[in-house]
Amino acid sequence: MPNSLRKFIGLLLIFAAVGVASCQALVASCSTAVAPLATLAPRD
Amino acid sequence: MGRLLVLAGVILIPLTALILLIKRRIRIMAERYQQTPGRFPSPKGVLMFLLPLPVLFAAVAALARGHLGGLIGNAAGYGLFLAGALLLRRGLLSEVEYDRRRVAKAPWPLKTLGGGVIALATGVTAWLGAGQPLVMAVAFGLAALLGCSLTYGFDPHAAKRLTDREGVDVTDRVLEALTQAESSISAIERSTRDIRNAELNNRLRRIVALARRILTLLEEDPRDLRRARKFLNVYLDGAKQVTEGYAKTHVRAATPELEDNFRRVLVTIEEVFQEQQQKLLETDVTDLDVQIEVLTTQLKREGVI
Repeated sequence: MPNSLRKFIGLLLIFAAVGVASCQALVASCSTAVAPLATLAPRD
Repeated sequence: MGRLLVLAGVILIPLTALILLIKRRIRIMAERYQQTPGRFPSPKGVLMFLLPLPVLFAAVAALARGHLGGLIGNAAGYGLFLAGALLLRRGLLSEVEYDRRRVAKAPWPLKTLGGGVIALATGVTAWLGAGQPLVMAVAFGLAALLGCSLTYGFDPHAAKRLTDREGVDVTDRVLEALTQAESSISAIERSTRDIRNAELNNRLRRIVALARRILTLLEEDPRDLRRARKFLNVYLDGAKQVTEGYAKTHVRAATPELEDNFRRVLVTIEEVFQEQQQKLLETDVTDLDVQIEVLTTQLKREGVI
């Protein structure tokens, strides 16, 4: 795998994992309801 | 959920591509301005300090709202993120040092350790901060671990060893000499702070800069260490002792005679250091001349020129 592609995928994974978890934590803290995001998600 | 994923993809992919493009531009610019004196702090690993910032805000928001669970989860997550980012950054910087040197020990696996701590932080934040189920939190952690491994790679694990002409391993001796020299230079720098004389301080600063340049030359080619033994054992050590002595004494008994003597010693040290640097540079030129001569003779013998 070329070096730049490896880094690109790595950065995508970091953004997807760290970025999304951080933003979800912020949204959960700031939301008016006490319940976190996961419990608010619609269930099929 | 599907729309959310598409939206995340639409935002994340161009953002990552933009970051890679900016990094490439910065590297090209850095290569162009390599001659600029002065050292800038390396931006390596800064992303891992910036990306978890929302967790800090989340902890503050949880505190403001009086949610103890959220506060503990987010604070623990952010603390782990910070520790992981620090470990990762130190690992990246020691890798740069390792790459720069021709003789070096394998650094501590700080990058790998940092990646592991960041993965743990992601999992804790997703579980306790964002309220994800445990299985999903583990998946978040694993994704972060894989991302860190792919982006930053693994730590170098082999020592760069050096053997002399007789085939004896001199790695430890070389590293010890370089560490000793570095500590002498640091001691001179510390003593400089205690001396309240602008002219002498400037001289000492020039001497420290010269000594560091010589040390860099020695680090790049440790075979020169034998030629520079006198510099390391006599002059550098002597400069350290004299500077420390003057820094202690001149506070109690500042006489013009003592100052003149110290100034004369510093002038001599500066000249000797300049000579040493010149010698090392000339040796490199001589080595290159010899190599060119050998190659020319070989090419002539084989009828190429």
